[in-house]
Amino acid sequence: MIEVKNVVKTFDGFTALNDATLSVPTGAVYGLVGPNGAGKSTIIRHLTGIFRQDSGTVQLGGEDVWENAALKARIAAIPDDWYYFSTATIRDMMRFYKGFYPQFSTERYEKLKEVFNLDEKRPIRRFSKGMQKQAAFWLALSAMPDYLILDEPVDGLDPVMRRQVWSLMMGDVAERGTTVLVSSHNLRELEDVCDHVGIMDHGHVLLERSLAQLQDNMVKMQVVFPDGVNEVPADLPVLHASRIGRVHTLIMRMNAEEATERLMAYSPLLADAVPLTLEEIFIYELGGADYAVKDIVL
Amino acid sequence: MRSKTLCFNGTLFRKNLSRYWPLWGLASFGGALFPLAMLVNLLHSGFDFWTPLETTQAYYNVLSYGVPVISIVYAVLCAMAVWNYLYNARSVGLMHTLPIRREGLFVTNVLSGLVMMAIPYAVTGVLIVLVSLLYGGFEPVGVLVTILGVAGESIFFFGLATFCAFIVGNVFMLPALYGLLNFLAVLTDFTMNLLAQGFCFGLNSSYSGTVEWLSPVVYLMQQVQPNSIYQENLVQNSVYAPYSTNVLTEVHLENGWLIAVYAAVGVVLMALAWLMYRRRRSESAGDVVAVGWMKPVFRYGCAAFSAILGGRLLYALFWESFQNGLYFTVLPMILCMIVGGAVGYYAASMLLAKTLRVFRSTWKGMLAVALGCIALCAAMKFDVFGVVRRVPAADSVKQVNLYAADSNYYLTPGQDDALIEEVRALHQAIINDKDHALTAASAASEACTDREVLYTYTTVRFTYTLNSGLKVERQYDLYLTRDRMAQDGSYDNLLDRLINSPEMRQKRIRWQDAGFQMDSAWITTRTGDTDLNSREVETILSAVARDAENGNWGVYDWFDSQNDADHYDMTVHVGYQMENHRYDSIDISVQEGMAETIQALKELGLITDEDLVLNRDAYPWQYSNNGWEEYDQFRNEFGMSPEEYYNRYGDYPAGWFGTEESITDMPEDSHSPSMSAGAASA
Repeated sequence: MIEVKNVVKTFDGFTALNDATLSVPTGAVYGLVGPNGAGKSTIIRHLTGIFRQDSGTVQLGGEDVWENAALKARIAAIPDDWYYFSTATIRDMMRFYKGFYPQFSTERYEKLKEVFNLDEKRPIRRFSKGMQKQAAFWLALSAMPDYLILDEPVDGLDPVMRRQVWSLMMGDVAERGTTVLVSSHNLRELEDVCDHVGIMDHGHVLLERSLAQLQDNMVKMQVVFPDGVNEVPADLPVLHASRIGRVHTLIMRMNAEEATERLMAYSPLLADAVPLTLEEIFIYELGGADYAVKDIVL
Repeated sequence: MRSKTLCFNGTLFRKNLSRYWPLWGLASFGGALFPLAMLVNLLHSGFDFWTPLETTQAYYNVLSYGVPVISIVYAVLCAMAVWNYLYNARSVGLMHTLPIRREGLFVTNVLSGLVMMAIPYAVTGVLIVLVSLLYGGFEPVGVLVTILGVAGESIFFFGLATFCAFIVGNVFMLPALYGLLNFLAVLTDFTMNLLAQGFCFGLNSSYSGTVEWLSPVVYLMQQVQPNSIYQENLVQNSVYAPYSTNVLTEVHLENGWLIAVYAAVGVVLMALAWLMYRRRRSESAGDVVAVGWMKPVFRYGCAAFSAILGGRLLYALFWESFQNGLYFTVLPMILCMIVGGAVGYYAASMLLAKTLRVFRSTWKGMLAVALGCIALCAAMKFDVFGVVRRVPAADSVKQVNLYAADSNYYLTPGQDDALIEEVRALHQAIINDKDHALTAASAASEACTDREVLYTYTTVRFTYTLNSGLKVERQYDLYLTRDRMAQDGSYDNLLDRLINSPEMRQKRIRWQDAGFQMDSAWITTRTGDTDLNSREVETILSAVARDAENGNWGVYDWFDSQNDADHYDMTVHVGYQMENHRYDSIDISVQEGMAETIQALKELGLITDEDLVLNRDAYPWQYSNNGWEEYDQFRNEFGMSPEEYYNRYGDYPAGWFGTEESITDMPEDSHSPSMSAGAASA
């Protein structure tokens, strides 16, 4: 289990993490989403032991991460900008990782060679960005981690390789109970793989729930009110409303049954619940946190 | 499960060595060239090479002068190699994500750096030992001492570089800070003296060396030196006249223990670096300064140096020509310093904040810089710290060095108490008469072309070595007059009485003074130079001492010190070695009337009557009113210089360089100058 509690981190007076709290159950795939500058990478750098929090706790499996070599041996991280030695090949980096990670599996490394199909004797700096990302995955997965911490992991990967990589990670989750925390802006992709989601903004985790809970907690209703009712009744708790012709689209923070029940009071001609995508949840949740898409005409 | 990597990681160690092999490989190659060159020379000379003692002397010379310079550069390169991951967000991210504690990273990187330092020295050392074994010059003690010395200096310089590495957050700042720290004390000393000598009467040195020990390279090179002892052997030969040779009998590394002290300091610096690493924030990668408490030090340090150096430069550019007298005008200097300080302060602030927009947020600091400039100038102008007034108490000094009348005088408490008191009284009189000294000096500098024998201009320097080892040095350019020299209690009078006292005349020779060990000596006559051995020097100096006692040598004429018309064209030079590898020398110009000295020189077979040619006879044009015109006429007439003519024929043609009436009349009351002791303390 990954647990971040009330973590505060400031950089020269700027508060990057402000009482951030999140919790990832063991064996879960947790998607951390948020706008640019929300603090996702900062929280990831705390989870991998790079940064030390000003206050609060950062624990994996009940142990503090900071300067905990034994715990870090069970964590593999792929940052957005993975570092490799300037002249190193994948094989060089494999030897380097092997010297640090006691669980590193040469056998798995050899097996993954077929998956990634990269020339392991070629300097990594000569690879494309996507190939470098593949190399990072190759090594991270060979380290046989109990925790995989990924920051924008599939950026630069082609669709086939994305699916391949996710498939490998899901396999680890299923077979070895690996806990995965992944930060990404690709909400569509996260929706497919994550079972838990946390939304960050301004250094704070606004909410975190299982994806099912999240989708159950917010609903999109398409409603046609009877003649004479042109506006959405003021007493309805609506997060966002829009209208095309007579059809009103209402985003409401409740489940579908409750929303239908509330709308029935106005005898609508039509009241249909439509499932929300993660992207819509993200937009409407952050809209409440003053992060709405602004209608700016230039 | 605990990680198998805790305090040392072999993978990282090997990675460091393999990544940076060009660094230590190139250094090893460069080092290996020296033994190879030795081998080539050895082959060329038919294996006739140095003795083991001479080999040891060579090792110590390299250790003293070569290793500090090589180590200071190479250590920072090694430190940059092993610590460069700290300065990049990506690399620091990788290294701090790895399952190894910071002490593991630290220990592994320190060992990697030290091994990188050791490899080139080891390669070079092994090859040198092999070559020295070839020609039988191997001396194990010398090798061992050299190995320890190299190891100690490597530890120190790498420790210092490591310490710097954890203060900065940018790879380019590391060599900058390292270089600065190595020379900071010297630079501060120079900077403060540069400012102080523009304000304080008597401060004239641009460098005092007070805190030189804080500049390791300078101090090590000054202090750690081979001390070679030679034995003088007189060689009797049937073909040539007997001559003396010096044979090396012992070699010691003087002050070698200092290397051990510096090595210990290096270990302490590494420990401090480790403490800083424990608290280091990875996010400081890329910052100019990575340690919070160092930021104000950096900001105000830059401001201070910039205020003094920049202020001095601006003052020289814009105000020096308007300056009245010898010392700075306070208000323009303050203004220049504030401008200089502002440049340094805002430059440092911009570097720290990584933005150019610092003016609004840092004005309070700038105000502090301005107040600091005003306070510093005011303190110096009004001598708040008593620098100008200071004359060290007699019981607080362990040596007094007076430079006056072109000679150095070394006085030691217990032996020269009365003379020390006289020196202090002279110093006090100069300070008390500061206004006169300054006015007269200005007047003299304005009227320096109007030279008369009524006044003269001389330089006097007092150097007090205190019991604490610190030095107080003051130098005064004094304007002396015949009138004041006759007035009791004036500094002119005190100076003349002191310098021309019989005790000080004997002091000039340094004969039988335990503090001086003869280093080299020769006599220059019209026929050339002849080296003197210690027995000859002993004989000559005892004769000069007797001449001084008889009043035939050593009385200094302040108003006609350059006139050497009644000197023979003959000089005895004696060089001395003093404590702490300082050197001093005297040049005794033999003059008419030095009967004892001339007799001694003749008895030693160093001169004959033919050498006893007075300057006024040999070079008469130098002492007559129109001598140089006549000199030119002579050349045109005879097609050779008068010197050549005199050397060829032993006299000048009739009618040329008439002597009696053309030689400058000597003042009746003048003392005959008999010597000029060129004294250069090294």
